[in-house]
Amino acid sequence: MPGTRVRTPLASTLSTPMTTTTSTWGRALLLIAAGALGTGMLVGHAQLVPLDLGNVLEVLVGWSFVACGVLLWVRRPANRLGRLMTLVGMLWLLGRTMTLVPDPAVFTVGIWLTDLWAAAFALFLLAFPAGRLSSRADRAIVGIFLFVVVPLELLWLLFWVPAASSCPPSVASCGRLNALAIVPDVSAAHVVDTLQRIGFAIGTALLVITLGRRWLRSSGPARRQMVPVLVGALALLPQAASWLLFIVGIRLAPLQDLVFLAQVAIPMAVVAVMLQARMARAAVADLVVELGQTPTPARLRDALANALGDPSLQVAYWAPIGDRFVDAAGEVMELPEDGAGQAVTMLERNGVREAAIIHDAILLEEPGLIASVASAMRLAVENDRLTAAVQAQLTEVRASRARIVAAGAAERQRIERDLHDGAQQRIVALTLALRLARTRLGDDADPAVKLSLEQASDEAKAALSELRELARGIHPQILTEAGLHAAIESLAVRTPAVVSVDMDPDARFDPAVEAIAYFVVSESLANIAKYAEAGAVGVRAGWQDGILTVEIADDGRGGADPRTGTGLRGLLDRVSAVDGTLEVISPQGAGTRIVARIPTPAPTPAPTSVADRMIGRVAT
Amino acid sequence: MTTILIVDDHAAFRVQARALLVAEGFSVIGEAVDGTSGLEAARTLRPDLVLLDIGLPDVEGFEVARELAVSGPPPLVVLTSSREASEYGPRLTSSRVLGFIPKDELSGAAIRALVRLA
Repeated sequence: MPGTRVRTPLASTLSTPMTTTTSTWGRALLLIAAGALGTGMLVGHAQLVPLDLGNVLEVLVGWSFVACGVLLWVRRPANRLGRLMTLVGMLWLLGRTMTLVPDPAVFTVGIWLTDLWAAAFALFLLAFPAGRLSSRADRAIVGIFLFVVVPLELLWLLFWVPAASSCPPSVASCGRLNALAIVPDVSAAHVVDTLQRIGFAIGTALLVITLGRRWLRSSGPARRQMVPVLVGALALLPQAASWLLFIVGIRLAPLQDLVFLAQVAIPMAVVAVMLQARMARAAVADLVVELGQTPTPARLRDALANALGDPSLQVAYWAPIGDRFVDAAGEVMELPEDGAGQAVTMLERNGVREAAIIHDAILLEEPGLIASVASAMRLAVENDRLTAAVQAQLTEVRASRARIVAAGAAERQRIERDLHDGAQQRIVALTLALRLARTRLGDDADPAVKLSLEQASDEAKAALSELRELARGIHPQILTEAGLHAAIESLAVRTPAVVSVDMDPDARFDPAVEAIAYFVVSESLANIAKYAEAGAVGVRAGWQDGILTVEIADDGRGGADPRTGTGLRGLLDRVSAVDGTLEVISPQGAGTRIVARIPTPAPTPAPTSVADRMIGRVAT
Repeated sequence: MTTILIVDDHAAFRVQARALLVAEGFSVIGEAVDGTSGLEAARTLRPDLVLLDIGLPDVEGFEVARELAVSGPPPLVVLTSSREASEYGPRLTSSRVLGFIPKDELSGAAIRALVRLA
């Protein structure tokens, strides 16, 4: 996505994985070798004793480790864990197969590799899931194992004389199978062997404790992912017990089969949990859908936590003012330090910080998933930003429209007053002057002069009448003085049809709302007078739940269409200007019903004293 | 001769109305420019009839008429306005006055017609 960078500061430092032909061939060869070694082991065993479940499970342990290790290696090339598992499997197969070969050099290396396996297995358990050891304690435990299987092992091999029970039965000179037995000494070998078994037992106990504590401390996805290695470590316990019991001559064969079975399952489980995160990609699709619905910050966090399978996930928003991260509530948030088990994925746009996702470090194993989630979240953040911008604009447009409507209403009132106080008063005075002149002239005056005066008087009256009509059309004074009910009543009186008015006479609304409601009634009644041929008209107005509803119904011929003619269209515009709606129901021949719904605060009852209302009013 | 008090804030109207009414045989004994001074003038001058504009700058004519009705002895009150009666609707019909004459139809005959009805 252009302009977007997802930074994962705690991401693995390993170089970008590259699948080359060489490594593909190498892994194929490893698989073939593992197959051959396993088969060899089975054949070797079959030559000595009838094959039992233990022999088969023993081979399966090696195959399981190699196959799963190679799979993980291919799918997670950046993680050393796959290679480590392959190594564990190969050591297992190599060592155990080589001990079946009656050649001193091969046999001795086989013995050593078999024991070396234990150190590799411990390393694998401790390196899960990152593929590397993360603490000094881990390295110390691996050190104990390595001490047992390298220097102590070599020391033991110097003394050890293989007993008949530990070498292939077909070999006659069993005692000479140890190629390194320079100073054969049974009792010295026993001492070293006991030391080794104790070392193994201590190492195993520490391993189990370390992994157990790590499991208890971790949360969310990490805890679930650790289950297989925890089982692996626990499976070592009976093994350690059997090693210790072996010192006193007790063998635990049935338990051995169970341990083998566990060890077959461990690599599979590890691969399953390591690759399971991939399934979470499907959750990203859900996340995008979720984020598309402009989620609240809490829902956004939950959606991210779901998609990443990390309930501990947190979202931090960058606050440029104050130069810090804050949570959804605006509280300052500290990002976790490296190595605290948590990782931070930064969301940046054009180099500008926007947010940070704080999540379990284990999720860094799935950088693609994090990137997808981050992209989805960036979309959501962008969407939020655009929505907020549009919302802000809309709010501003609404506010300015309301101001324009209010200013328009005030201006109309002012014009009406100016007409009334100016031109109207002058024409009234003129009319009276003409009447006075006519009176003073007397009845026996020149008929031509009388006629001229009467014509002048009629013209003045006509002018006044037109001026009144004009003023009323601009803004009816009665609306300001006496409210919507009185204004509608005065309209009703001037309408030819019988008009009944049903409204609370004392209710007063916002002046702009009253004006719009008045003009809805006025225009509707004018239309009824012109076209409807109605006998009866009902006007009803009432306020409920924040809406003033004005309804004008007649029993005329119907068929009114707001799309034709400017009257209804103009009303629609006026009503829309205050976020109201206008409904015109006018079936042919069945009357017309016009319903305007105008959002407005509750009406105030009219003041009891007329004088109260008139204070500050300009003269009539 | 019927004595009349004219209460109106428009000087041009007062001048023309006074001249017209005098010419038609009435005695205009006073003029007032707003409701408060109108009530004061009515109390001191005791006119037979008050020609009262509805739209006064301080108190509405309806209110002045109500005050006059409770003063003793109450004068006859004729409301007037440059607007039509229909523009006042029920407020005009419910007010207890002698009647209403639009300003442009003011004449001695119109007043006498109302007085005769009373």
